[in-house]
Amino acid sequence: MSEQQQQRPVTIAFDVMGGDHGPLEVVKGAAQLTLDTPNVHGLLVGDRALIDQALSQVKHSAERLSVHHAPDFVSMHEKPAAALDARPRCSVLVAAELIRDGEADAMVSAGNTGAGVLACARAFKLIPGVRRAALATVYPTAVSRGEKNDPFSLILDVGATVDASADDLVAFAVMGAAYARIISKNPDPSVALLSNGTEATKGPARVVEANQKLSVIKGLRFIGNVEGVDIPKGTADVVVCDGFVGNVCLKMLEGVSETVIELARYAYKEKLLWRAGLAMLSSGIERIKEVTDWEQYGGAPILGFDKLFIKAHGRSKARAITNAGKVAAKAVKSDLVKVIQDALPR
Amino acid sequence: MSLTDRIDPRPPKKIYRWDLDKTYLQTEFDTLRQLVRTAMQKAHEKKAVPGAAALIRELRASGDSRLCIVSGSPTQMRAVLAEKLKLDGVEFDELVLKDNLKNLVRGRFKALRGQVGYKLPVLLRSRALAPADAEEVLFGDDAEADAFIYSLYADMVARRVSEPVVHQVLQAAEVYEDDITQVMKVWESIPQADPVRRIFINLDRLTTPASFAHYGPRLVPIFNYFQAALVLMADGHLTAPQVLKVMVDMVQSAGHNLFTLSNSLQDLIRRGLPIAQVAQGLSEALQGPQAMLQAVRPVPDIIAAFTKRAASLGAPVTSALVKDIDYLSMLDHARPRTHKKRRIE
Repeated sequence: MSEQQQQRPVTIAFDVMGGDHGPLEVVKGAAQLTLDTPNVHGLLVGDRALIDQALSQVKHSAERLSVHHAPDFVSMHEKPAAALDARPRCSVLVAAELIRDGEADAMVSAGNTGAGVLACARAFKLIPGVRRAALATVYPTAVSRGEKNDPFSLILDVGATVDASADDLVAFAVMGAAYARIISKNPDPSVALLSNGTEATKGPARVVEANQKLSVIKGLRFIGNVEGVDIPKGTADVVVCDGFVGNVCLKMLEGVSETVIELARYAYKEKLLWRAGLAMLSSGIERIKEVTDWEQYGGAPILGFDKLFIKAHGRSKARAITNAGKVAAKAVKSDLVKVIQDALPR
Repeated sequence: MSLTDRIDPRPPKKIYRWDLDKTYLQTEFDTLRQLVRTAMQKAHEKKAVPGAAALIRELRASGDSRLCIVSGSPTQMRAVLAEKLKLDGVEFDELVLKDNLKNLVRGRFKALRGQVGYKLPVLLRSRALAPADAEEVLFGDDAEADAFIYSLYADMVARRVSEPVVHQVLQAAEVYEDDITQVMKVWESIPQADPVRRIFINLDRLTTPASFAHYGPRLVPIFNYFQAALVLMADGHLTAPQVLKVMVDMVQSAGHNLFTLSNSLQDLIRRGLPIAQVAQGLSEALQGPQAMLQAVRPVPDIIAAFTKRAASLGAPVTSALVKDIDYLSMLDHARPRTHKKRRIE
């Protein structure tokens, strides 16, 4: 390794214009990342005037932050392809291009997910052996895993590839396992296919075929098929499905959580006794909230490209952005892309 | 410095005033333990802020300048501090330290913590002995009240601040009445001039540069001494080869690299400092007698990165209008760092 490569810090490009809370929270998060981890630099991509204004309010080290002006941005509800075509100098695409050109190593965005994935598809290359990228997400489960006692399992794909083939599902499984090994410090993650039954013959043809292929891959702890009910139970550390099923599943799980919270609110208002019961449980609920706090994870990866993109939640505030940057830096330092490439069946 | 300058020094054209702790030296004294450790350190154990010694050596190279150091360190540390400066190859003309033992004996406890009542008279007395046309560049940090004191000093010498305002400021800073009288007397004796060209504040505590905006463009908060060198090159105090030497020193001795240095340059451009031509000057300097610096591996890469970083910012922004400093609105800045009313952080 050359002297220059040795001293080269990991640089994370932040799409400053993405997210519900505007540039300030993203800049705050990026600045905090560079203060917490001296060998990680931040490249802030977005409207220079807004970035300067945000930086003026935030403690930072100018040695570890740089700015790249991008005059446009894609808003949350725009159609990704049309927006990127109309505004080629939008922050998310400029950030992806800077990574392609070697100015940064990975990207973090809390903006429009579709635009982020499309920007990656336009700027990055797929890893040899991967035909489609996968959008992964983490979901809190009843069991913890790995060195970090991580309560989150990884689900992929949740929307990038709607119609995945058996080979795509195999690639997703390999990529998900590699990610769990590095980020969750789980040396031997269990991997399962999401299907309508645990038997290997259950499910559509592509799932059955993927099951057969995954069963013979060495170095991958494939535990067979799991059902939807197994996701919150945490039966598998990595749950693999196509983007259509994954997205439906994810939205349903989100809906269930929201409904439970609504029911708790209703109970709180309805009866004094129920209110007292909830009050008594409050510290336990707080503890569950802490353990399953999505902000500690920061974001979810888009896997399959030769560069990494961490998609932070649209509601992300500074802490989540910092953590998304840490996840990205960790993946870069661990050479996640090469680990995936080496693990793919040839 | 040439032999003739040593034998028969020319009157100084430039005066560089430096603070020591957190400006020249990497000192920690936030806790009692750190304070004791700092006091017990030997000269070779003390660490200079990266690039500080190299910058001073380059500023002093022309032989027509004075280096005046005024520090809040106690007088008992003179020998160690003088030895440290000698070890770093830094020759000074004045080294003024704080006689806190005297303050203690005289029961002047407010003076133990106070910075304004100590530094301002020292600066004024030194100025009174300097040639009227000597320009000054001041170096301090964001830990205490250097920005306030240096700016007030500059505006007092230039008579941009009135006597009643100075009086109020000194009272707010808890300066003893007899010291106030002394300050006023020395101030009167100084001929009116506008010598202070720049004030650099080393951001040891990473205070946001915007926090110093009300001190105007004369004061430049810096994250490292490479930034100071760039501004001093733009101001005509340093040549491009001299800046390259400071840069090489920081790369070789403090682990700086093309990323930290090009980010530093970009930060200055973003803050509207007129250094756009500096990168070009540095690039050209590599072609001349300093071509050997190209052999120092990262140097050409760093210069190339400067151009790229500058270009990535798009169109330049307009600088804010220069206003007089309203010292009365910033009285809290004159108080000791530990004072409850201090709000600069």
